[in-house]
Amino acid sequence: MSSKTSAKALVWDPVFNNNPIALQILGICSALAVTTKLSTSLTMSFAVIAVTACSSAAVAMIKDRIPSSIRIIVQMTIIASFVILVDQVLKAFAFQLSKELSVFVGLIITNCIVMGRAEGFAMKNSVSDSFFDGLGNGLGYSIILMVVGFFRELFGSGTLFGFTVFTKQSAGGWYDPNGLMLLSPSAFFIIGIFIWALRTWKPDQVEEA
Amino acid sequence: MPLNKDSLPNTFLVATVLCLSCALVVSAASVALRPLQLANAQKDRRNNILQVSGFTPEEIEQDGGIKEVFESRFEVVIIDLDTGEEAREDCQAAMDKAKDKDVNLAEEYDQLWASKVNPDKGLSEKLEKKSDVCGIKSREKYSEVFIMKSVEGKPELYVFPVRGNGLWSLMQGYLAVKPDFQTVVGLTFYQQAETPGLGGEVQNPDWKALWKDKKIYDEGKVKLAVIKGNKAGNDYGVDALSGATITSNGVTNMLDFWMGDKGFGPYIKQMKNQDSSTAKLSAAGGNNVK
Repeated sequence: MSSKTSAKALVWDPVFNNNPIALQILGICSALAVTTKLSTSLTMSFAVIAVTACSSAAVAMIKDRIPSSIRIIVQMTIIASFVILVDQVLKAFAFQLSKELSVFVGLIITNCIVMGRAEGFAMKNSVSDSFFDGLGNGLGYSIILMVVGFFRELFGSGTLFGFTVFTKQSAGGWYDPNGLMLLSPSAFFIIGIFIWALRTWKPDQVEEA
Repeated sequence: MPLNKDSLPNTFLVATVLCLSCALVVSAASVALRPLQLANAQKDRRNNILQVSGFTPEEIEQDGGIKEVFESRFEVVIIDLDTGEEAREDCQAAMDKAKDKDVNLAEEYDQLWASKVNPDKGLSEKLEKKSDVCGIKSREKYSEVFIMKSVEGKPELYVFPVRGNGLWSLMQGYLAVKPDFQTVVGLTFYQQAETPGLGGEVQNPDWKALWKDKKIYDEGKVKLAVIKGNKAGNDYGVDALSGATITSNGVTNMLDFWMGDKGFGPYIKQMKNQDSSTAKLSAAGGNNVK
């Protein structure tokens, strides 16, 4: 396996060329739930990056010992352990954010991206490759989260990371916030537009009708 | 080396080793981070107490942070809910008996935990169906009450911990009242998982603001309630949350329970008696004014 040349490619490929959300349409659910604000999007991004990277590496480390009959549950156990770790760390060091993210940190376990990388990549590749692959896919997920979070917070509340950008009418300014942006469906629209823009830029991602 | 990884012994071996090591990692993290998490949770509760008492985040910041403001302005008393008497020692004794490790009440009193301890241990009691209006099944025997004092040591307001079931979740919060035990200063929830956008609006600052200056008792009975289509100027009603009837009813029931005889009723009676015997005249006339 040509791992020397590919570390950089492994990380960057999933960001635009093979984005888990935009191309594979995985992990949509949490992308809707946590993106009303940039701060929660960012925290969620870090959490998912940490979990995908570490769990992929851990799965790759023991891949030669994993009996194929129980491989899915083994991956699940490893992923779940990392998710609990992340959740505990957030509760200890970022209590307010973890309260806002509530169950969604725990639900990283069910994020198809994590499981998909463990089963689809880490079971066949080296530890370092798997780590970078997990990192890249986490980043690919994060970039969508950040883009969606940016538009939802900006147009929904007129703020970015909690700082006022557009002064709302209720606070004496000119901006009338778009309430739809605070509801989940708006994330669908933004993800849709993002996919459209991405596929216009890279036409080879367009699926054949 | 041909390793037969699909053999039965290897399957068991991998499963066992994996489970053990994962369990070890997870529990180590949990134990190591627990003190920090508890401190965070306490800070969050105190922050809620301060906010329900009318402190703005800026004021808290200015006066040296949550811990500083809370400790300088508030006195925490532990009362026996049945008698209304202060009962810190009794509570400490019961806690020592019920828990193996040492608990210092000055640092933490996990009331929710206490309410679920086996009633034999003397920390809780089962509620009869009839009196259990807010669906909590069992109630702790001892409760904390937070008293905000002025610089001269005069009580300015009382904050009661309250909780009750909404639609999906146990809503836990604080109710702040003036020393006449009749006028509400504020109601807030620090823990709830109602439907976001509907019942979750119990957290909405606009809705919480409706509670200010509402009256609780009418002729000794709790009259304050969440009412659908509340008329403006009704001192005993707060407008219900639209699309969240069960959550709204939950809040009404919670007030009914915690302000009633099974909740802080006896304590309030006690405090009023003390007040009228020492000052011969209760601060704002209590509930017989209206």
